[in-house]
Amino acid sequence: MQTPTNMSQIFDKLNDLKDIFRFGERIVPIIQSLISFMRDVVPLLESINTSIADSTSQMPKAANQINNVTSATELATTEILDLVDDISNELVVVDGIFQKILEKRSKKDELYKKLFETLNKDSEEYKLINEIYQLDDHNGIFDDIKSKMQKINDDTYKITLSLQVQDITAQQLAAVTHLIEQVHGKLASLVNDIEHAEIKDKITDKHIVIDEHVSFDPNARYDKSEERQQTVDNIVDDQKRKASQEEIDKLFS
Amino acid sequence: MKKVILIADDSPTIRKFVSFSLTMQGFEVISACDGMEAIELLPSKKVDLIITDLNMPNLDGFELIKSIRENLAYGDVPIIILSSLAGSEEIERGMSCGANSYLVKPFDPKRIQYEVAKYLN
Repeated sequence: MQTPTNMSQIFDKLNDLKDIFRFGERIVPIIQSLISFMRDVVPLLESINTSIADSTSQMPKAANQINNVTSATELATTEILDLVDDISNELVVVDGIFQKILEKRSKKDELYKKLFETLNKDSEEYKLINEIYQLDDHNGIFDDIKSKMQKINDDTYKITLSLQVQDITAQQLAAVTHLIEQVHGKLASLVNDIEHAEIKDKITDKHIVIDEHVSFDPNARYDKSEERQQTVDNIVDDQKRKASQEEIDKLFS
Repeated sequence: MKKVILIADDSPTIRKFVSFSLTMQGFEVISACDGMEAIELLPSKKVDLIITDLNMPNLDGFELIKSIRENLAYGDVPIIILSSLAGSEEIERGMSCGANSYLVKPFDPKRIQYEVAKYLN
């Protein structure tokens, strides 16, 4: 037979159950709105996943295009340098020819001088030969040609200096490709967790072709100013001074 | 007889620039695309001076300089670093490894000719 104490415990439990039902009544609308929210948000999340997958799948194409650009500019730069090399070599040849002309000119001047010495200054022959000598005098033209040749030489020098921009941009582009590869790797592993075969395929189908034999300085910059080299020279000088002082100290210790 | 200069750089354009600047001065220039190839090339020819980049695959410039300095046969060969790295840390490390000069990219061809002449003329 049940005691009053047992009955009291049963009522307590029933009250607890009543509280639970009351709580359930309050929580059910919340759960319902949560389900409705999930119903709305899931397609959105899927769309986000698809967008990420799309972007991720485009990354290898972008990286490979950057690599192609680097190769193309490298080829073009080498071709330009070959041409500059040819121009320089031609200039050396032209300079050699020019020197021979000048040597001949000098010999000719000596001969004219000897001829003038044998003639009377007032004679008709002297005047005629002097006229021929004046017509034959191309010193002004020679000076012009020489300065033009020097200008071409200086310009080829400037071209070689400016073309170094290719090396710097190649390093910067390699840094960008490296970055894309890293982001691609992260996104691919993130999207890989999604149980959506179509999205998975989009990403895993494409790979970034990374040239293992490429090293780069991500901070490389095209700076032709002399200050940069001057700063380097100062650091080198300081270090050399420090090293020689250490050697002196060692010698006398 | 022409003096021989070895340029180690992974950039074909830089190898070409250096070669262009120095062959004009009457030097023979041989090139390697990284430190490893430079080390392989050294026994094949008597090299009078080495110009090296620092950022290179397989064997970088720092390791190349160290290897050269450790080898008695090439211990005295002048080495010029030619790099786009211009931080004091890299410069000090490069010079500590045993380089003689440090040039920064982009370089002035006249400056590289001057540095080479300093050691070879």
